[in-house]
Amino acid sequence: MRTIDAVRRSGIGIESDRTVREAAALMDTTGVGSLVVLDGGRLAGIVTDRDLVRRALGAGLPSDARVDSVMSTPVLTIDADADLRDAFSRFREHAVRRLAVVRDGELVGMIAVDDLLIDLSADLADLVRPVTAETIFGQRDSEVPATTGD
Amino acid sequence: MRATVGDRIVIRGHVVGEPDRDGEVLEVRGADGGPPFLVRWGDDGHVGLLYPGSDAEIQHFEHAGTKAGTTTGGTP
Repeated sequence: MRTIDAVRRSGIGIESDRTVREAAALMDTTGVGSLVVLDGGRLAGIVTDRDLVRRALGAGLPSDARVDSVMSTPVLTIDADADLRDAFSRFREHAVRRLAVVRDGELVGMIAVDDLLIDLSADLADLVRPVTAETIFGQRDSEVPATTGD
Repeated sequence: MRATVGDRIVIRGHVVGEPDRDGEVLEVRGADGGPPFLVRWGDDGHVGLLYPGSDAEIQHFEHAGTKAGTTTGGTP
C-alpha cells in the first residue's frame, strides 16, 4: 500500500508571514491541530496547537508574532509513493506524530500516527471477530458436502 | 482532484458530532487545476492552503458553458 493511499485527512497550510493569532483562528475554523507552514510555496515547517501554547502564549509573544517564529523544523517527509511500511519506520525512528507526504519535492498531504492507528485497529477488529465468535459459540464443523449415493 | 476559483470545498467531519467545514476556493496554485488551493474558510473568512485528502469534496458551481458537479477527494 502506498503512503498516499493512507492519507485520510486534508492538510491545511498557512504562509510563514501570517501571525500566530491567524494560525490559531485557522486551526479553530478548520478543526485541525496542526498547520503546514509554507514559505513561497516551499515547506518551511509545521506548527501545532501545542507550539502556539508553549512557544507563543507561554512565552508571552504578542498575538501578531509571525507563525514561523514558533513553528517546528525540520519537517520529516516521506514520498507519496513509498510503501506504507516506510512511514511506520519513520514514526518508529523519530518521535513525531505527523509526516509530510511529498511528491517531486512538493507537499501533497500529511499523514498522522492517529490515522494509522485507527486503520490498524479496524484491521485487527476484522481479524479478531471470527476468533471471538469461535471462543463464545464454539467451533463449528464445516458442512459436509451433499452427495448422492448410488 | 481539480478545482476552479469560486468552487466550494467541504471537509467532512471525522468523528460523530464534528461539523463539516466549508470554504470557497480563492486561488488554484497547483498545475492543471490541482492542489494546493487557497481557501477562505467559513463565515469568519480565515484563509489557508488546502491539500485535500479523502475527506474533502469539491462542489463545482456552474460557470459559463459548464455543468455543476461534485468531486470527492481521492488519491493525488
